[in-house]
Amino acid sequence: MKSLKILISLIVFALFLSAGVVNSVSADEKEGKALVESKKCGSCHKMQGPPDKTIADVLKRKAPDLFYAGSKFKKEWLEGFLQKPTMLRPAGTVYLNNIKMGEKKDEIGDVKPCASALSQKEAHEVTEYLMTLKEPTMKAGVIVDDKFSKAKAKVLFGQKEGCSGCHRDKADSGGTSCPTLYNAGERLNPDWIFDFLKNPQKYDPKIWMPRRELSDEDFILLAKLIASMK
Amino acid sequence: MKKVSLIGLSVMFLGLMITPLALAEKAEDNYKLYCFQCHGSKGNGGGINAAALSTAPRDHTSATEMKKLTDDNIFTAIKEGGAAVSKSTFMPPFKSILTDDEIKEMVKHLHKLCNC
Ligand code: HEC
Ligand code: HEC
Ligand code: HEC
Repeated sequence: MKSLKILISLIVFALFLSAGVVNSVSADEKEGKALVESKKCGSCHKMQGPPDKTIADVLKRKAPDLFYAGSKFKKEWLEGFLQKPTMLRPAGTVYLNNIKMGEKKDEIGDVKPCASALSQKEAHEVTEYLMTLKEPTMKAGVIVDDKFSKAKAKVLFGQKEGCSGCHRDKADSGGTSCPTLYNAGERLNPDWIFDFLKNPQKYDPKIWMPRRELSDEDFILLAKLIASMK
Repeated sequence: MKKVSLIGLSVMFLGLMITPLALAEKAEDNYKLYCFQCHGSKGNGGGINAAALSTAPRDHTSATEMKKLTDDNIFTAIKEGGAAVSKSTFMPPFKSILTDDEIKEMVKHLHKLCNC
């Protein structure tokens, strides 16, 4: 009888604790949401869908869309980035707006990284909020961290599917019209990589990355390769 | 008064009918956003990605080069990618972005670029 009482009070105590934890998380989220507004992240980034549907609108884009940030990014990376942003796209968000058009060849003009400069506490709160912005159709748990044929994946990425034509897979080689991938493993959620590769136009109908028609097996290989780039 | 609102309604109706058509982009704009990155702003192969490609992007301004290709060949290269016409896989397939009609307009645009 006595032990039952103890058990019940323990359960009540545990419930109390977990409710407290849930509460403190949503407090961070709330702070984060308020910060996103007061820091005007939305003046450059779309914080809500739908994505741009015409080229004219894409050309007005100042920064990447964030309304599925919680599916796309790894939490730890996001928290660091928001304190000290690094360059992700060598030619900026919309390369077409940042090139100097030459007679013989084009050059990349001036590009700046993200303007976010949050303190550690602010970055934590904003990250908690951004992680709640999900792409509802993305499946979780597709890409598991196990062995895969890196050699086969590299042939797909290079010769077969020409991914390196637009993306840098090393700091000093690869295309420059879109995000660098040589450190993508630190940045991107592997399940999101797979979902994005299967249909980039689902996320961004006018994005200048054509969809490749590959088997799920090949998409998984590519996603694992990119997730391993650190 | 009644007439005015009737006219207003038919204009709105027409507007709705036209909207799907308006979604097609001009070939010139498609070329800028999707092709400049490799083929360059002049179309001569001088895009910012060109250095990363093991095969140079076709010079769309060269009449000698472009005359070697039939319209069907150009259409297939753009829609299905270089591999479909036994060319470099660095030329991507654009069927997930451009409609058949947009690709047909693109073929015409390329004729303008090479003046041929
Ligand atoms: C002045 C415009 C501007 C403001 C304000 C701004 N950003 Fe950015 N942000 C950018 C640009 C431009 C990039 C792309 C940088 C790159 O690719 O190198 C970017 C990139 C990012 C990325 C990476 C996105 C991706 O898909 O790679 C995140 C996350 C981000 N910003 C969050 C924020 C948050 C949170 C705020 C508000 C605290 C903010 N930004 C405010 C311009 C801005
Ligand atoms: C014609 C140019 C082009 C080619 C070829 C290309 N991509 Fe992309 N890729 C892009 C663009 C543009 C984006 C999105 C840019 C943005 O978010 O601002 C992108 C985004 C990505 C992303 C998300 C990166 C991020 O940080 O947002 C991954 C992963 C990716 N591509 C992988 C691949 C793979 C794998 C291939 C080969 C199958 C490939 N890409 C081929 C242009 C290209
Ligand atoms: C990622 C870089 C890249 C992009 C983006 C790209 N191309 Fe290409 N393109 C190439 C390369 C490389 C070749 C050369 C293929 C060869 O000679 O083997 C080529 C060749 C071609 C050819 C000649 C095909 C043949 O049969 O010889 C045409 C036509 C063409 N591209 C049109 C376009 C159009 C139109 C666009 C934009 C919608 C475009 N390309 C975008 C890289 C690209």
